[in-house]
Formats: sequence, structure tokens, C-alpha cells
Amino acid sequence: MPRPLPLAFAALVGSAAPCSAQLLVQGIRDLDFGPVIQGIATSVPPTDPIRSGQFYFRTPGLGTRIRIQFTLPTRLNGPAGARLPISFGANDAMARGTAPASAPAFFNPNGAVVYQMVTSPDANVWIGGRVTPAANQAVGSYTNTIVITVTIL
Amino acid sequence: MRFFTKVSVATAIGLSLAGALEAQTSGTINARAVVRQPITITAGQDLDFGIVLQGSPRTIAETAAAAGRFDATGTANANVNVNFTLPANLVSGANNLPIGSWTGCYNQAAAVNASGCTTIANMSGTTATTFGNVAGNGRLWVFVGATVSPAAAQAVGTYTNTVTLTLTYF
Repeated sequence: MPRPLPLAFAALVGSAAPCSAQLLVQGIRDLDFGPVIQGIATSVPPTDPIRSGQFYFRTPGLGTRIRIQFTLPTRLNGPAGARLPISFGANDAMARGTAPASAPAFFNPNGAVVYQMVTSPDANVWIGGRVTPAANQAVGSYTNTIVITVTIL
Repeated sequence: MRFFTKVSVATAIGLSLAGALEAQTSGTINARAVVRQPITITAGQDLDFGIVLQGSPRTIAETAAAAGRFDATGTANANVNVNFTLPANLVSGANNLPIGSWTGCYNQAAAVNASGCTTIANMSGTTATTFGNVAGNGRLWVFVGATVSPAAAQAVGTYTNTVTLTLTYF
């Protein structure tokens, strides 16, 4: 069950959103672990200003209730079919409205969360994670896709 | 009456589906990582000034046989930053022997500094380079030189200190 976080974007409660207006969701920046060493787990927090992944979404207006849900990989795909385990922990996602008064709200990207847009109609969502290369992990580049789905409730 | 009901239901379902599609949107990013071998650095050779005389500075060039040498391994062709931690003095008990004017070069193909060694322009800054590919192995040899400046009344003795090389993938 999604966990409602009605105060996540704090303070100002505005008018109800027109349900027919468009919802915009954009991927802004990749979650980039950079070089990682064989046998050494590497984490990126959602607050990392360079390496964390970033999404942006805009709802029809203040007061809109939305659900955020990720589709997360469990492996990054590398050379010759090699796979690199990736995991996401309890506070590896962070959402914050674009208004100056908005406070960051941390959540577990493995589950859905529900927010009400109360300080701004738009917000950014950052995501971190952890990769765990084996001691004999094949060297090379690994990648996979992270999808965020925003639903107006 | 029955036909009307069916039409109404169909219309209602159509509107509901249209609304649901418009109210849900997705965005995508990638998660990326580049796996590298651990970097190993071993002390290949100390920077050795040998016997120096009071009041007579002595320089060992990075291309000299007595230059200091680090032997490093990592992932072939991987980008790496080179940084040094350099002492200002060699030490013998309570006595200091000033050392400075550091010079350096790196070689990606062989443990030699006479040729093919690329000069490190700024020994106190960061130098970007790559590991070489020597028979499929990432190799890098780094050489350092410097000048010691003993005072005319420099206390006699054996002076030492540590030069640290740090290599970081980027």
C-alpha cells in the first residue's frame, strides 16, 4: 500500500488541481556510480549533487495528489553478458518541491509513495543506490534503466 | 432500454480509460557504473641523493638513474588522476634538510624514464592520464626528482622522508 505523506511538500495548501491538465515527467540526470572497484561496494546517496539520478515532474496545480513509483533494476548489464548487482535502500529516494519553502522528503524507492503538492505544482526526485561488484567482476561499463511513474490520484 | 444501458456502460468505460491514461506518466534515466581493477602501487625505487655536501644543493632529475620510481597497475586504458604528497624537508632526528623543485614524469609502456616519459607539468596539482596497455595489463610507472639544499652548517647525518603517490580513477 502506498504510504501517504501529505506534509512532504509542506506549508501552502492550494486549490484543487484540474484533472484534465497534463502531467509532465522527465528524466534529468543518470544515476552514475562512476568508476567502481572490483570487490568494493559503492553507494551514491540521493543528495549527491553529481552522481545521483534526477527526475522532474509537473502536476496540473497545487493540491494535486500523486503517487510516485519506480521500476528499479536489480542488475546493471555489462560486457559479454556480465551483470552487476544494484540495490536501493530505505532512504535512497528524495523528493522536493521547487518552491523555496519545500523541504526534502526521503523515501524508499522500492515502494510507492503518495504526496500532495502543497508548496509548488512541480518537484524533483533524486535517487541513489548501491552497486556491489564481485571480486572477479568483469571490468567495463554497466548500465540499466530506472523508470519513474507518476500518477495523479 | 437494454441497448441504451450497454451503450452507456461502453461510453463510461471509454471515458474512464482515457482519463487514467492522461493522469499517469513515466520518465526514464539510466543507472551506470564502470568496473575497474583495484589500483596497486609499489615503491619501485627510492629517490636517492646519495652523499650531499654542506652548502651545496644537489638535484636529481626525474630522468636520472637515481630518480624515485613508483610501479602501478590498474585497468588497461582507464583514466586516472595522478597526485603527490610531497615533503618540504628530509628529516634526521630534530634536523631538517630542505627539499623542493620537484619534477616528475610517467611512462605507460615500460619502467624507464630516459625516453618515452611524459613530463608532469605541475607536481603540486592533479595530472590526468591513463594506464597503459602492456600485454593486456594496465601499467603506469611514475618517476620523481627534486633538489635538496643543505645549509652551510647543515647537521651531518642521514635524512629521509616519504613521497606519496595517489592514483584515482575518473
